[in-house]
Amino acid sequence: MSGGERDPIAFEVVKPGRSAPDEHGRRRVHPWTPFIEGVRWWPGGVVAGVTLAAQLDVKVGTGAILVGLAGLVGVTLLGMAWGFLGWQRRTFWFDEDGDLRVDSGVLSRNERRLQLSRLQSVDVLQPLIARFAGLAEVRVEVAGAGDSKINLQFLTLREANELRNEIIARSAGVRHDVAEAPENVLVTVPPGDLVISLLLRAETWLLLAASILLLATTLWTNGVSGIGFLLVGGIPVFQVFTQFTRYYDFTVAESPDGLRLRHGLLQKTRQTVPPGRVQAVGFVQPFLWRKRGWVRVRLNVAGASSSTQGSGNETYTENVLLPVAPWPVALAIVARVLPGVDLQSIPTIPAPDRSRRRAWIQWRQLAVGWDDQVFITRGGRITERWDVVPHARTQSVRVTQGPWQRSLGLASMHVDSTPGAVKITGHHRDADEARRLAQEQADRASVARAGDRSLRWVAQQHLAGQQTGAATPSAAPHDGGILGPQASEIADLGPTPSAVEPDPGERPEA
Amino acid sequence: MADQTRTIDDAFAPPGVSWTRVSPKLATAYRISLCAVALLVLVGIVALTFIPDYPDVISVIAGGVLLVVVVWLWWLIGRRTGSWGYAEREDDLLVTSGIMFRRLVIVPYGRMQLVDLNAGPIHRWLGITTVQLHTAAATTDASIPGLTPPVAADLRDRLARRGEQRSAGL
Repeated sequence: MSGGERDPIAFEVVKPGRSAPDEHGRRRVHPWTPFIEGVRWWPGGVVAGVTLAAQLDVKVGTGAILVGLAGLVGVTLLGMAWGFLGWQRRTFWFDEDGDLRVDSGVLSRNERRLQLSRLQSVDVLQPLIARFAGLAEVRVEVAGAGDSKINLQFLTLREANELRNEIIARSAGVRHDVAEAPENVLVTVPPGDLVISLLLRAETWLLLAASILLLATTLWTNGVSGIGFLLVGGIPVFQVFTQFTRYYDFTVAESPDGLRLRHGLLQKTRQTVPPGRVQAVGFVQPFLWRKRGWVRVRLNVAGASSSTQGSGNETYTENVLLPVAPWPVALAIVARVLPGVDLQSIPTIPAPDRSRRRAWIQWRQLAVGWDDQVFITRGGRITERWDVVPHARTQSVRVTQGPWQRSLGLASMHVDSTPGAVKITGHHRDADEARRLAQEQADRASVARAGDRSLRWVAQQHLAGQQTGAATPSAAPHDGGILGPQASEIADLGPTPSAVEPDPGERPEA
Repeated sequence: MADQTRTIDDAFAPPGVSWTRVSPKLATAYRISLCAVALLVLVGIVALTFIPDYPDVISVIAGGVLLVVVVWLWWLIGRRTGSWGYAEREDDLLVTSGIMFRRLVIVPYGRMQLVDLNAGPIHRWLGITTVQLHTAAATTDASIPGLTPPVAADLRDRLARRGEQRSAGL
């Protein structure tokens, strides 16, 4: 839906609307940003302060409370002052090439330019504190090594949604002043299912056991091992609670500008994954989910790994497409991400029987398979995994062999994807077979790259960006307002114009 | 394609006639590093003997162990550097290495994002360079150490040219 929907916990303190651009068309984030930055560390800071006071055996009294309050106010004011300076010096705008630019930095200046033709994802996040004020953060990621993203915090929710639409429209090369593309909700995860699915994970019980152990030893030793809590960052079982709040009300919607994922109880997140940006998909089925036929679906999205460097509580270690869903639903959603792929019809080849001497538990599950679009690996006995990578997204292929595998004549074959939770490995194949699979996969990837249609989306933008450039190979209409790779009739270009010329003699005759 | 009579080793066999091997100077570079570390350990062992009431026999044993380890690593470095090899094909580059833990990487030219040339002080002194390929995957790990600078520069330029011709975005 559009940004007009009302957040029940928001106070009507912030007037909606756009922040006015200055004479160069540059905009600032919302003036409330320094205030939010000043107070957002309160929960963590108070917990840390109280813990520290408890460890140092500070007597609870007026003095201690006054010192605490003075510290709180002082640090908050300092944070706000610093935040104000940062706010003043942070501007963002779209430059003449249509790329997003951000200038920021108080002491050291940083000018960042995101090439939107390489856009990977746009997220609109609402941390709890920002939600109270009706504000949101926009996080833009493009493909690239290292830090290739921009966090714009904070804008009003409506403005954030408008910016998101504009970024996606510009990236797709269509007019950017059109209304938000309509969406079609595909699936919503019921909170009850989410709770049960979390309870049915062995991880939850391990974390609970760790928490009890830590609590018991802390009481036993009069608080000395409370340090342990600091080391693991709180009570371990809280991670499960965090998972619940993060994936609460998980909604997957489809729209012409990509899949939209919305979730969160405290911090609300709206992710948009444009078409053709999914690098790999993985299904995970913990042991206790099997009876219910549930599965979790994860994604690799290029550039998203850098979000693990994100500040504080916003780190993501995995990109979840569906926290829990029945198999048919999961397959239906994945079919939207990988159009034309029928995962169930792909024949798989199991690992040889002698792999049992290397992988005692999971050897029976180990298998690889492929069709003309994707490569798929299977593994894990207790927690089962299925990992899928499109041939066109194969980065490189590896064969590895340790001494133990060598003595058994086995080798593992890996298909490298962009960094993420999904790893595609055909474990413990026959050594010769592994080499052959690797070579064949490299060839399949090469064929798939040559015929890849999903990058048309990029090509379209590229033409839009190259309008003033000299050699535009074939002018195509790109302002029709029709989003989506299927609809566009346009020459199949690579992202660089020099890549247009294919070498007919290059393909080895197999 | 797969010839059933091949032995296990052939999983890491060259795609064509043979691998292009790296310069034996690479072994020299690693051995210099090994000697430097061994020397530091030796200094430590000798220093221990100056502590009063410290049984000399421990230093003797430590020295013996050090000698054995250095000889073993000396031999291993020779084998390991000899195992590096690469082969350029029409569409991709193959890199192999390792004795105990073997690996073979196939990197399509169209997937290369950048090619690095690195040389540390010892490597520079010996006149060898490392060519490193990066793709969008962090796990690709395709580096070729121990190339002479002209060979490395040629390889880099060739790779960059082919990468540009076949560039496929992400």
